[in-house]
Amino acid sequence: MRSKHSRRKKKDILLGTLIWLSAIVTVLVLVGILGYILINGLPHMTLSFLTSTYSAAKGGDKGILPMIINTLYIIILSLLFSTPIGIGSAIYLTQYARQGRLVKAIRFATEVLSGIPSVLFGLFGYAVFVVLFQLKLSILSGSLTMMICILPTIIRTTEESLLAVPNTYKEGALALGAGKLRVTMGIVLPCAMSGVLTGIILAMGRIVGETAALLFTVGVSGNSMPKGNNIFEALFGHVLEQGNTLALHLYNSAMNGKDPVSVPFATAAALLILIFVLNRLAGYLSKRLKK
Amino acid sequence: MDRVEYNLLRGENKARRRGLRLAGFVFGLLGIATLFFPYTLFKFDQYRVSMNAWQLLTVNIRFGPDFLLSMPIGLRIAIVAAVVLSLAGVVFLLLRKHALSSGMFFGALAAGFVELIFISQTAKDAAHAGFSTTSGDMLWGWTFFLLFSILAAVFALAGTGLEKSAEMIFKLSATISIAMVAIITLYMFIYGSPAIIQIGLFKFLFGTEWQPTATTPQFGILYMILASLIGCVGAIAIGVPIGLLTAVFLSEIAPQWVRAIVRPSVELLAGIPSVIYGFWGMKVLVPFIREFFTKLGYDTTGSGLLAVILILSIMILPTIVSVAETSLKSVPPSYTEASLALGNTKISTIFSVQIPAARSGILAGVILGVGRAIGETMAVIMVAGNIVQLPTLFGSVRPMTAGIAFEMGYAEAGLHRQALFGIGLVLFLFIMLVNITFTAISRRGVQMDAK
Repeated sequence: MRSKHSRRKKKDILLGTLIWLSAIVTVLVLVGILGYILINGLPHMTLSFLTSTYSAAKGGDKGILPMIINTLYIIILSLLFSTPIGIGSAIYLTQYARQGRLVKAIRFATEVLSGIPSVLFGLFGYAVFVVLFQLKLSILSGSLTMMICILPTIIRTTEESLLAVPNTYKEGALALGAGKLRVTMGIVLPCAMSGVLTGIILAMGRIVGETAALLFTVGVSGNSMPKGNNIFEALFGHVLEQGNTLALHLYNSAMNGKDPVSVPFATAAALLILIFVLNRLAGYLSKRLKK
Repeated sequence: MDRVEYNLLRGENKARRRGLRLAGFVFGLLGIATLFFPYTLFKFDQYRVSMNAWQLLTVNIRFGPDFLLSMPIGLRIAIVAAVVLSLAGVVFLLLRKHALSSGMFFGALAAGFVELIFISQTAKDAAHAGFSTTSGDMLWGWTFFLLFSILAAVFALAGTGLEKSAEMIFKLSATISIAMVAIITLYMFIYGSPAIIQIGLFKFLFGTEWQPTATTPQFGILYMILASLIGCVGAIAIGVPIGLLTAVFLSEIAPQWVRAIVRPSVELLAGIPSVIYGFWGMKVLVPFIREFFTKLGYDTTGSGLLAVILILSIMILPTIVSVAETSLKSVPPSYTEASLALGNTKISTIFSVQIPAARSGILAGVILGVGRAIGETMAVIMVAGNIVQLPTLFGSVRPMTAGIAFEMGYAEAGLHRQALFGIGLVLFLFIMLVNITFTAISRRGVQMDAK
């Protein structure tokens, strides 16, 4: 009896240690990755690095301004395409649809979309936007590809936040004689706004970090800045040019080995800081949503 | 719209709807008319032929002395569909069926895009006939057809009234995700299957030679499939125990203040882009493996299967932790209490009661992790070493995803690029299998909870 008891105690201690160890490993891995990249990258992340242009030649400028601008372009464009569709779908799913085959099909489709790996989105984007629609390797092709990637995220978060709006708000408005559209757009959607924003920020994080889907859709032109005869041409013409995002730049400069090693490190640090800020913003907003 | 307002505005509304109907009617007819205008331009070397839609439907064109371009049946069906749908839209407008009419115009729009697909396919097929450059461009007739169809559809929709048209728009945007999945599936097959058919399914899947640029190219992807599968299994073998125990830690054991550190760490781990994992793996993991195992007497460059497995097991951690934690939390407290009341310790309750009760949720998390691991590209490509050979623990490998991403950069159009799409198709089928299993299991899990 006693030996059984002590054996059990030993087993408990062993398993308990394993549990603690796993948690410690998880945290250490994170700290290791973040620490390594920030320590090696931050010293090189100077103001001139962030604001100068890039040239692949040896000894040329090695800044990341073009990549920052192109990343912004892709974020704005793909959100422009994806947000209305995503919010529209979420409104349909929560406010209009009755449970049925269509709703089931939509849910299955969003699940499948969120499970498809980004390299396949890249292949699809290449086949459809680059080749079929003849948009060539361009920021527009990349943004259209990203639109599909981020759609499930936006639909799901918006849907959750729409469901969290108390029914009494809706009923009150309906009882006052407002139509369904006015209730949805005037009461339900504004109440769920912080959830919608969370979804958009999560999507931004995905876009910032995405590489495989953009690898064969936006091209890898290292120094691609908006340019043109007038501001209009520069702003909008750039959409059809090749671009290079921060994440793509990190991949290229890490793999080709032509740039000094500080370039990928500093780019990675910039990328991490951006992701961290977006992550905190989403956390803050979703905490506000819960209140 | 509000009832009172509606009554006041009824007269005005009637006139407005008539106006909208008229506009939809006009644009519908204009859309049909555009089919008589230059629609497509085929450029085969020095030959240029521009055709309108009726010609596309009825004639085959001769390029030079000995090539007759025959239009595929799909193109003809699409053109007929575009015409019939537009006409139906106009007729339904006359019958005051606004919603139906709008649906018809949207259908015509879709048919226009299908035409585009077939035209470019036709031009590509003609490349086999000995022309060096072939292209099929859509001209302004087609552009205006799309434009007029959209306008007609919008006006017809507006005629249904604000509430109804808003609902239609929401419904339409919701069906876009279904359409996307359908189109992606279709395209994966259209682009992926030609290479597999040409090479031969068996030779493609089980061939061990991958030499796409040799004079007699070989396309066998067995080693890539093996590398993907072994990498995935290894990642699961390491990642799942650690992830599961971390989930147990978070949901059962951790003191409040430790939880406040660990949970955000896991969330942040999920947010780190895969290219950063890859970069870290390249700079830290690969040199470490090289140093460590060379000292032990193995001959390794460091990049290879082991590095892939380690980096993937880190990357699937957050998925496993969050899914397992959710399902552990949903175990009814009465189970735990009953076990504790029987004299079990907290630890043995966790392992003999709570984890078994949450197993379907945990399994779902594992399957989600499998999907992540098989589909991961950037991190893998940066540490795998990218040589196609029989996977060994310390040897360089090239999983399927890395193969696609690595070679798309330089693969020339032709069988090589098609073969990459073939790998894409194989990967796609793997992922679909994983997805469907996941859906089935998580549904069963919900049913079990309901009981």
